[in-house]
Amino acid sequence: MAAVTRHHWTGRLRFIFIGFAVICVLAPLYWVAVTSIKPTDDYLASPPVWFPSHPTLVHYRAALFAYRGLQGLSHSATVALGAMVLSVLLGTPMGYSLARFRTGGKHMAMWVLSQRFLPPVAIGLPIFLLYRNYGLYDTQPGLILVYTMMTLPLTVWMMYAYFRQMPRELEDAARVDGCGWLQAFLRVAVPLALPGIAAAAVFAFIAVWTEFFFALILTSRHAFTLPTVFRSFISFQGGQYGESSALAMVSLIPSILLGMLVQRHLVRGLTLGAVRG
Amino acid sequence: MTHPAKAVPLHPGLPGAARGGTLALWAERRIGWLLVTPAVALIVALSIYPLLYSLWVSFVNYDFLVPGHAFVGLRNFAQIIADPIARSALVTTAVLCVLDVGIEFGLGLALALAMERPFRGRGLITSILIIPLFISPVIVGQFFALMLQRPFGPTDYLLGLVLGHPVTIDWLSGFPWNFAALVAADVWQWTPFMFVILLAGLSAIPPEPYEAAQIDGVNPWQGFRYVVWPQLTPMILLAITFRLLDAVKLFDVIFMMTGGGPGTSTYTASFYLYEMGFQHFHLSEATAGSWIFLLLTAVIVGFLVRRLLRAEAV
Repeated sequence: MAAVTRHHWTGRLRFIFIGFAVICVLAPLYWVAVTSIKPTDDYLASPPVWFPSHPTLVHYRAALFAYRGLQGLSHSATVALGAMVLSVLLGTPMGYSLARFRTGGKHMAMWVLSQRFLPPVAIGLPIFLLYRNYGLYDTQPGLILVYTMMTLPLTVWMMYAYFRQMPRELEDAARVDGCGWLQAFLRVAVPLALPGIAAAAVFAFIAVWTEFFFALILTSRHAFTLPTVFRSFISFQGGQYGESSALAMVSLIPSILLGMLVQRHLVRGLTLGAVRG
Repeated sequence: MTHPAKAVPLHPGLPGAARGGTLALWAERRIGWLLVTPAVALIVALSIYPLLYSLWVSFVNYDFLVPGHAFVGLRNFAQIIADPIARSALVTTAVLCVLDVGIEFGLGLALALAMERPFRGRGLITSILIIPLFISPVIVGQFFALMLQRPFGPTDYLLGLVLGHPVTIDWLSGFPWNFAALVAADVWQWTPFMFVILLAGLSAIPPEPYEAAQIDGVNPWQGFRYVVWPQLTPMILLAITFRLLDAVKLFDVIFMMTGGGPGTSTYTASFYLYEMGFQHFHLSEATAGSWIFLLLTAVIVGFLVRRLLRAEAV
């Protein structure tokens, strides 16, 4: 009922504004999509060609093979999956512990949260130096570890919030029946929290999939991820509009689809569980 | 040695702890810490330790070409503080942050208010509006470079149609257009963030006070300003805090759209430190600079989080 009575916006103006916002969101997406299938002559034309008369997929082939987009794609998938699994494996127990036992008090939770706001450049520099010394530079395990660290605040806090709002009666019942806490956690709490764990996992995956800075400084020829391939297209000096657009499409479609999958949990994901949504 | 007799009273009435061997008992008593240890260990190894290491690097002369690490005291810090590019990068970061977050908040709030009332197709439109959140900032930078690039981008052409005369704006290298372009890219990507959080905040506000105010004859603006806004304040602070703390790290779109140029005019703090460390390999100066940046960020974090906690308590 609240919504019906609050007239912040008068009818027509409101829909014009919403329509304008939708167009603003879709316009760049349309332009990239259409550029990715334009023949070279079309994207160098003035006035701009709004839709090509002879769509082509040559740029996709070039982006994936000539620019090593396919390798970047497979590295990105490996690293994102690895970091996602590790992040959930480490983050779920910690979230549970913070929620049920208040381990470390409020400070521990805030300490983890503060990690989320560290400037990447501040830890990126020393990690780069350390990785060179330990042979982790330009390796997938090295990148997976950094990304696990990067996504841990998200998974810990999302699971912390999830377990806090989950009733603990079932765990108590299991303990009365003779389970230890570890079993109560693994056999009772984790199965009940699976939807929350899945959502946290998807957010971690998207965060890694779209990350650029750590991949830029910690990889070169062997472990490079998809976002770093875009370095080849900076300011389009070679005029590779088609190739860069094709690669953008390849990269953004999976993460948008995954995002739609967890749309219901979006508010919790964006605020690390601080807001229930 | 752990004595079972001592362990049991910790969980009176819950016999689970009494079963199993000594190890199991120890684990049962320390369960809270056992569950946090792996995650804490990883954060210590990959965040705390590197930060301490970088503190050491910032006090020595760390150079790939010079053997040994001579202690140089505060020289690296002094060099960064004396560098006019560092100062201008800090100012650029602050200006872009204020513009980005301010515009995103305004548009996000307007959008949240517009989308609050249900209508047909609202779900679909919400799904479209949040798309930018799932795209890599690098690609967003590339989107805008593609649309603004002269002479092939559609933006100048469309502006020319609207204004009736040819437009040739140097969006990526002409001041102030390059700043407008950088802000546009960030606003495109992150306005949905504000929108989603503020919409959740609006939906959580109970309708009764607003209805009562309406019966008392307040106009919609007064109703918003004096009834809705105060109840939305904690959420507004939360949204701005989270967004601002990410905005200060601005790097990707700079890298893709202007490369810091022309000259060093669009260097942000992160971009400056990246150039310093990874292009010029002045590692010690870069780590010193990153510590200064870290401390400045920490001050902002501390201030905002305290405001936030106070607002939540009300």
